[in-house]
Amino acid sequence: MLLAHRDVPLDKDPSARFLPWLIAFMVYLAALALAGAIAVSNLTERWDRGLSDQMTVQVPPPRGEENAMLQSERVAAALETLRGERGVRTAEVVDDAEMAALLEPWLGEAGIREDLPLPALIAVEVVPGNPPDSERLEGMLQAAAPGVVVEDHQRTLGRFLAVTQSLQLLALLVVGLVAGAAVLSVVFVTRTGLAVHRQVIELLHLIGARDNYIAGQFQRQALKLGLAGGLIGVGLAGGTILVLGQVFATSESVVVPELALSLRQWLLLVLVPPATALVAMATARWTVLRTLARLS
Amino acid sequence: MVRFEDVSFRYGTSANVLSSLTFHLEPGSFHFMLGASGAGKSSLLQLMYLWQKPTEGRISLFGRDVAELSRDEKALMRRRIGVVFQDFRLLDHLSALDNVALPLRVAGRRSAALDEHVAELLTWVGLGDHIEAKPPTLSGGQQQRIAIARAVIARPSLLLADEPTGNVDDRLALRLLYLFEELNKMGTTVVIATHNEHLIQRFSHPVIRLAGGDTIPAPELRREAERQHFGEA
Ligand SMILES: Nc1ncnc2c1ncn2[C@@H]1O[C@H](COP(=O)(O)OP(=O)(O)OP(=O)(O)O)[C@@H](O)[C@H]1O
Ligand SMILES: [Mg+2]
Repeated sequence: MLLAHRDVPLDKDPSARFLPWLIAFMVYLAALALAGAIAVSNLTERWDRGLSDQMTVQVPPPRGEENAMLQSERVAAALETLRGERGVRTAEVVDDAEMAALLEPWLGEAGIREDLPLPALIAVEVVPGNPPDSERLEGMLQAAAPGVVVEDHQRTLGRFLAVTQSLQLLALLVVGLVAGAAVLSVVFVTRTGLAVHRQVIELLHLIGARDNYIAGQFQRQALKLGLAGGLIGVGLAGGTILVLGQVFATSESVVVPELALSLRQWLLLVLVPPATALVAMATARWTVLRTLARLS
Repeated sequence: MVRFEDVSFRYGTSANVLSSLTFHLEPGSFHFMLGASGAGKSSLLQLMYLWQKPTEGRISLFGRDVAELSRDEKALMRRRIGVVFQDFRLLDHLSALDNVALPLRVAGRRSAALDEHVAELLTWVGLGDHIEAKPPTLSGGQQQRIAIARAVIARPSLLLADEPTGNVDDRLALRLLYLFEELNKMGTTVVIATHNEHLIQRFSHPVIRLAGGDTIPAPELRREAERQHFGEA
């Protein structure tokens, strides 16, 4: 059917050459925007998994007049306060070896020097679903050992999630705009085709063609061009995602997102070309029928 | 078949091309239409094949007021009307065969058997050797014969031919007119517009004379119309 006869010689129009590339370009942009959104959501998920239900309490070394109180006493006081909290499940001091491992990326293998005034860290596991209020907790800890800081990961994460959600919304907006632009370009190309081939279309009408038949000519062409554009765009996007995924995977940093699509996401990507083709076809059909209906 | 009631027609705001035409063409009739260049022959035919709308008056085809037809109904009605356009209107990118087969395809009737019929018809009009040729590579007379073949291929109930023999010699013109007569014998109503008085003298069919402009319709047409009116009463 795709190879069937063309009464309206649309395949010789310049648009037959540029429309697939235009669509390919837009599909590529949209696919990358979506892949970016997916990568960011992978990242948040990873952080969320690692950080939920945890808090870190920093007990900085004593200063000035507080010197009177030894650091070990301060840590013990903080631990006691924490363990007395209902919302706290466990509270453990991060030992020197772990500390050294944590700091290695910043300080190198030289390790921790004795005279470095490092705070003591207490890893707190909170009761899931019923965590203590971090500000109240900080107040109590301050009373026990001045200068103590509570880092609530949930709160940090919350702020981070807000950022990633807006990034995802932005990606969706990009996809929406790109889809809109693609639809508009098909409308434009179809209208141009109708104008360029006016005489052929008149003749078809004169020998008894219905608007439907004319629309069929344009719609088949749009299906073909849309499919070609979708395939090129998705092919390029798939390649880009694979390459970037490799690059990202080799850098082991926690802030670099993981650009790996799940099987479901790859399947969605495969569905893009037929979807593009169908949208292009429907747009062409609608444009032709609407334009012709205005003729009489 | 074709009924005009007090039809006037003009392009835009210019003077009337056709004024107050009233006539009725019986089913199965055969008419020539004569008139000087610019008299309005093509315009009258355009009204009949629904390409123009009358400025005033009413046109009925196949018993229906054409002003009341939807776009799709118009399309279906046009399938029953074969037209030979004065300027042929062939599709340059299609072969002679595909041009002639177009009305069948548009009506969803194309098949291998019909294609054979198309080729036969092309052979009959003397284009057997040019079945695959594209119109731009053919002479004016050859193109005209493709246009004629396309107009008759679907066995229309109404055949409207605008100067269908203008580009061929008299011998071929006669042959083509006999083709129209054959069609007419099978029931098709035929209207042929032409300048060529000499050619139509060989036939006994009634003649519609158009004088053009705001002049009243020629006696033949008026008499025809009056006869129709009497016939109806
Ligand atoms: N599209 C148009 N717009 C405006 N005026 C037109 C148009 N077509 C024809 N006319 C005018 O209408 C009048 C009748 O033209 P028409 O083509 O019907 O004549 P005709 O009898 O077919 O002539 P010919 O024998 O030369 O083909 C002419 O005066 C012509 O100038
Ligand atoms: Mg004319």
